[in-house]
This record gives sequence, structure tokens and C-alpha cells, in this order.
Amino acid sequence: MDYPKLVEMVPAEKLGPLSDQLLNFILTTKNEGKMPTALANIMLSKMQQGAIKSPSGVAVLMEAALTLEPEKTMAALGEMQLAQLAEAVKGGV
Amino acid sequence: MAPLKFGIEFVPKEPYWKLTAYAIQAENSGFDNLWITDHYGNRNVYVTLAAAAIYTNKITFGTGVTNPWMVNPVITAQAIATLNELAPGRVVLGMGAGDKTTLEAVGIEMGKPLAAVREAIDMFRKLTSGEKVAFQGEVFKAAGAKFNFKTANKIPVYVGAQGPKMLEMAGKIGDGVLINASHPSDIQFAVQMANEGMKQAGKSPADVDITAYTSFSVNEDPKKAVKAATPVVAFIVAGSPAAVLEKHKIDIAKADELRGALKVGDFPKALAAVTPEMLDAFSICGTPDTCIEKIAALQKIGISQFVVGSPIGTNVKNSIDLIGSKIIPQFK
Repeated sequence: MDYPKLVEMVPAEKLGPLSDQLLNFILTTKNEGKMPTALANIMLSKMQQGAIKSPSGVAVLMEAALTLEPEKTMAALGEMQLAQLAEAVKGGV
Repeated sequence: MAPLKFGIEFVPKEPYWKLTAYAIQAENSGFDNLWITDHYGNRNVYVTLAAAAIYTNKITFGTGVTNPWMVNPVITAQAIATLNELAPGRVVLGMGAGDKTTLEAVGIEMGKPLAAVREAIDMFRKLTSGEKVAFQGEVFKAAGAKFNFKTANKIPVYVGAQGPKMLEMAGKIGDGVLINASHPSDIQFAVQMANEGMKQAGKSPADVDITAYTSFSVNEDPKKAVKAATPVVAFIVAGSPAAVLEKHKIDIAKADELRGALKVGDFPKALAAVTPEMLDAFSICGTPDTCIEKIAALQKIGISQFVVGSPIGTNVKNSIDLIGSKIIPQFK
């Protein structure tokens, strides 16, 4: 899946709230074992650089959240009225 | 009054990336210190700290706390000195006597805690100053141990303490004192003892970072804050001697009921036995305003750092945000 391309569908004003929501799913997941170490390290680097709410940061969080909590993530995309993005995820863009 | 420093404690029960994410968030929320607990049952404290060192930029961090028994103090000094290369000037050593039950579980007999902590700290300071360690102590012996590398700066040592003698020694030899308590009367007593030790060493209060290492839980909904604090307080009560419970006017029968329930694994019954008096004695929990009031009371007693310890809140990420936005600014 091309996560940076997916995040292009997120309006700028929704990047911050989406970042918070995805990070919450990631940090509270019980599926920690599914987190790829390389992805975890990229996420930490984005956080350290203050870029976790930027398009590239949200792309990393999307990948992690869909890996760890796919159902919750899809539901959140619906609740945040990001239907086009949800459809693209389902379609495997 | 000098600005109060804020620390946060994490228990490495979770993978390094979760704790490191919380550490970054804490740094961005205005926390000054990060403390990682050391227990053989959890992830390794030094590996966890190494990850935090790499992904943070300014927060000071250390063991909260390690002990002299589980690994030889030479290796503790080596680990801390190496961490100091990853994050120069941001590392501290937190050292306490250790927990008897934990040490017994791995077959270590905890004898002469005062001497062990004092000697371990002495070895630590000598080794990280580039000196050769050769002495025959009451607990440890060394016959010429020396590091093959230099430590760029002096690394502060915090002494974890609860009892009067350890508190006094902590004030005397420590750059910081970690007081494992939450209630003002316990903190008052601890500060007095630490001050006594500081006087003996000719130090002023500004020389030692007096730190309240509390059990903390915050939420805008006070019931949720209490709910998160309750299991932690249950275990503190279960491990407290009768004298401590009586001091805080805690119903001994209720405490016995709680202990009995924990022993047979009946957690709902144990949690139901936790009273408001127990929560007040062994935690700081409530809304941000309630917590601010309680922290301010501890600051008046003489603490210079306040550590937000487990459980922090129902949701760690949200609680860090709340502390960073509503509590810390009141003390800066």
C-alpha cells in the first residue's frame, strides 16, 4: 500500500486529529508483537523530529495502525468522515 | 520559590517503542526527567534507556531505581557511563537498596543495605571519574578495577530511600534523593531526614535534588483517576507494615481483607477493599486541579522534583497531555 499517496487524501486540518487518534490506537494496542521494528523506529524518528502530524508522519502512523488495529483504524476513518481514504485502503491503493 | 522540576516514571512492561514514544511525548510536554524502573521480570532498564537516549533530545534520564545486588556495581557504572556517551550530560544513576521479595526470588540475600548502597555509589563515582577502585568494603571488594574509557562529565547520583537511616545517608552522599512516598506527612519526615544528612555533609538544600517519587493518577473525571490508582494502591497497602497503615489511620481489618483477597487472586474483592483513606495515603490522584493542590503542598515542604509514577492515568498518552497542558505550567 502506498501510504504517502493515501495521506494525500486527508485534508490538512484533519492531519492533527488523525495523527492523535492513530497514535492512540498504536500505543494502546495489545498486538504489540505485530509491530515491525523498522516501522517502530521510523515512527519514533518522526516523533523526535516533531513531524508526527505532518503528511509523512501520518503516513507512518497509518501503516502502523492498519498493521496493529485494522478494524479500529477503519472505523476511525469513517467517524472522521474520511470515506474516500477508507475506500482507498479497502481497495489496497 | 524555584521552579519545580517534573519527572515521569515508566515500567518497561511494554516494548521499547511504546515507552520511547511516551518518553518523547513527555519531553515535548515539559517533563525534565525520565525514570525507568529496574526489575528482572520486565525489559532491561539499560536497553530501554538507550532507546530513550537515542530518540529524545533534552530530557534527563536514569534508573528509577537500580540496586547494588542484582548486578555488580562495576557493571552498573559501565552501563550508565556508556549511556552518557549516547546522551552526554543527560544521564543520572538512581540507586536504592532493592526490594527484599524480588531479590529473594532470584536467590540473592539482601544484607547491610546501607553499606551496600554507599559502597556501590563510591565505586560508581570512582570508576566514572577515571579512578582505580581498590578497597575491601563491608559488602563489596575490588582489587584495582578501572575503566579503559573516560566519562566526559560528572554523572549525578540519586539515592532511593524510605527508611530514616537511608534517607539521612541519601542527603549526605546523594546529588539527589528519591523519596518513595506520596503523602505530605511522609514527605515531610523524609525531607527532615535528608536535610539532617545534608547538614552533616555541609551541603545546602540547593545542592541536592529532593524528589518525591509518587504514585500518580490524573483525569478530568475524578472517578476515572481513582479507578486507575486503585490497583496500584492495593498493592502498596498489601506490602505496608501495620505501623505505616496505623500512621495513616487506615483500617487494619480492611487492609487484612485486601491482603487476603490478593493472596487468593480475588482482584475484584481486593480492589473493593481499597478505601479513600488508602488512596489519600499512598497516591496523588484526581482532577488536574486536585493534583495541582497536592503537588503545591509537597513543594512547600521542600521538594525540588515531582515524579509522576505509575499508573499516571487510565490512558498514559492522554494523561501526559493533561499534565503537560494543565499541571506543569502552574509550577514553571
